[in-house]
Amino acid sequence: MPRAFSTLPLLLLICFSSTRSLASTGEPGRSTQQEALAYLQTIHLPDSSIHWPNARGHLFMENLRANVQHPLSMYQGSNTNFCGYAALSYLPLNYDPLQYVKFMLTLYEEGQATWNKIKFTPSPEVMLAAGTLRFKGILDIHPADQMWFLVLADHFRSYLNLFHRKFHMGSEDTFWAACNLGKFNRMIRQLMGYKLKAIGSDLIRPGIADVYAYLQNAIQTGTTYLYVNNTYLHVKNHDKSRFSFPTHYLVLTEIQKIGDIFQIIYWDYGGRTLRQVTPQFLKKIIFGVTCCLKDTHEE
Amino acid sequence: MLSTIVILYMCSCKTLNISRYYHTHQSVLDSIGQVYAQAYKQKPFSIEFTDRKFDRLSLELTTDTLTYIYEFWVGEDRMKDTLRKYGFDTHAVDNLITNMRSVDCTWINNLDYYTEERKHSLTYVTLWPRAFNFPFVKKKYYILTYFQQSQYFDSEGNLLMGRRLRRIRKINAEVFRRINDKVCYTLSDRFR
Repeated sequence: MPRAFSTLPLLLLICFSSTRSLASTGEPGRSTQQEALAYLQTIHLPDSSIHWPNARGHLFMENLRANVQHPLSMYQGSNTNFCGYAALSYLPLNYDPLQYVKFMLTLYEEGQATWNKIKFTPSPEVMLAAGTLRFKGILDIHPADQMWFLVLADHFRSYLNLFHRKFHMGSEDTFWAACNLGKFNRMIRQLMGYKLKAIGSDLIRPGIADVYAYLQNAIQTGTTYLYVNNTYLHVKNHDKSRFSFPTHYLVLTEIQKIGDIFQIIYWDYGGRTLRQVTPQFLKKIIFGVTCCLKDTHEE
Repeated sequence: MLSTIVILYMCSCKTLNISRYYHTHQSVLDSIGQVYAQAYKQKPFSIEFTDRKFDRLSLELTTDTLTYIYEFWVGEDRMKDTLRKYGFDTHAVDNLITNMRSVDCTWINNLDYYTEERKHSLTYVTLWPRAFNFPFVKKKYYILTYFQQSQYFDSEGNLLMGRRLRRIRKINAEVFRRINDKVCYTLSDRFR
């Protein structure tokens, strides 16, 4: 592919740019937002790819640019089971966006790519599906996100996916895309190279004596994910009897004690939310806590 | 025998004629849709009634950086203070809450959808009529969608993606049917 490598003016711009990313706020960023945007400026993609026939080049590039510029706005799509992959994306988009865009562009151009020595060779069904998912909100016009979620779900498998081996249209809403805690932690460890401190399971809540102190400490240590029962957090019906197992991942960014309640700020569904909850409620919804240790990620 | 029939009747999924319900309450429902769409343009928010008596509500207030989720009792002063603090139109929100309670509307929100790469918005109104709340029966919600433009439908009244795209459009994983050119309905077991 023809690529222009005249990046000097852009690199100079990077040096003097004051744009602030999360990487500069304490977490060990491996590359910056500016580096990723500069790299994207050098790329000229054709509007179609033989590997991804339904992913339009211009939308793909717009999508990558938007993800780098607004890393918190990545949206998993409504009614999909992509929340684990969207939550995972929080790490590369905030702390290594250059690696992320390079991976995505290689995937688009060559149909396969490697990240941290893991080779992704997507199945033909997934390659055909990327760009065709509809009725998912803004994910409809985000072919790069569709590709990213589908490729991750296609590659990383677990016992939840046993009976849904192959992708069919609509599989994004089924157990084909489901992500249990073990798989989620494995993806972060293998793909992102972080060491993790994790507690919890897919069925039994972890016994945390002082949930406030535990989470406060986790947030100070590194990016903290909660594996939660979403039927309580994001109520969709008024039934009193609800599933008592976890279905959703979110990134906990702040927790404060205000009197008897906790004020939490978390990221999910393409944005940050502030909410006040009781300690009992928080204990009830948490099935897992995964903390990415700041200074020990393996290169 | 009679008691069995009564129990079976109570546990049956009795349905409401949503089209008739809409026409009976059309002025209030349309006003809710209109007031909400205008207020949402100023500042995005959604309202959810969290209980069956429509006394407790949850407000989601969206700002550039955060979405705030707060719970209040209807008429609580704390709610107005919160709305004022974030610059919301307290009069419009009050008006909406009153009207929503009067027609058993449990949730109102704005949804974005896409047609041929173009973004559009609709107002999503969920009704939970009190008359149809039987024990042991899975909750059913009646959902109305208010579109900004006239929509296209197939011969059976199912909402389509567009004039050229004759595929059935799903919103929040549901197929919607025509009430009029801009208003559709569906029956769902989720209110959002």
